[in-house]
Amino acid sequence: FRFKDSLAEDLRGADLVISHAGAGSCLEALEEGKPLIVVTNEKLMNNHQLELAKQLHRDGYVLCCNCSTLVETLQSMDLSTLKPFPPGQPEKFALFLDEVVGFQ
Amino acid sequence: TGGHTTEILRLLSCLSESYSPRHYIFADSDNMSEAKIRSFEQKRSETFSNSQFTLHRIPRSREVRQSWTSSVVTTLYSILYSLPLTYKLKPDLILCNGPGTCVPVCISALLLGLLGIKRAIIVYVESICRVETLSLSGKILYYFSDYFIVQWPNLKEKYPKSVYLGRIV
Repeated sequence: FRFKDSLAEDLRGADLVISHAGAGSCLEALEEGKPLIVVTNEKLMNNHQLELAKQLHRDGYVLCCNCSTLVETLQSMDLSTLKPFPPGQPEKFALFLDEVVGFQ
Repeated sequence: TGGHTTEILRLLSCLSESYSPRHYIFADSDNMSEAKIRSFEQKRSETFSNSQFTLHRIPRSREVRQSWTSSVVTTLYSILYSLPLTYKLKPDLILCNGPGTCVPVCISALLLGLLGIKRAIIVYVESICRVETLSLSGKILYYFSDYFIVQWPNLKEKYPKSVYLGRIV
């Protein structure tokens, strides 16, 4: 398919997600609780896109590889080493903002 | 635009109804945000009966990787365009998360404050994508916002005046 409005359904049915390092794609897959392999292409991407992929990898939430090492990664991966991705906490933001503007 | 809109709607998700009416400002070239916002507000109105919001489009201040000199011109144009809008809305609070669109709006709000017309609290939340470096909007608004929130500890170290609450989207 070319472009869908939402990949949510496909994500839910998947056992493994292999994605480029776009933030939206990575976070969506992680929030669905799917194991994720992020394929980075240092030549195509500007540095800022890599930041999130690198951090997620450092924290143990995703596996990382590039196009040439993908096959090898798939053959040798151990998905049980991946940590579950905790959801963000917008309630903390709400509390902070309430204090800032003076609502109690 | 896209990712920014999704993030900002998540930021809004736990706010009480005291944060009303909500005025959404986005770039005229943005086709997806309106639908996302309407969907969010529709859901919200199911819980809060008197939910109010408005939508406003302004000229996009800068395209991705646009040259510096032409960016200055387009941003100035966007500021001139935003001034009457900000003057009309007279916000108490401005919440933004990084698209180029937010810079002219914040600058026009600052001008209104300097002129003694209306002083808005400016809260900037840098995108979750920004782990090591700030976006261009972030670099500018770090100095002009009242509260600058980052979502990764590295940024808190590099930008000590920022606020770190962890991941909030």
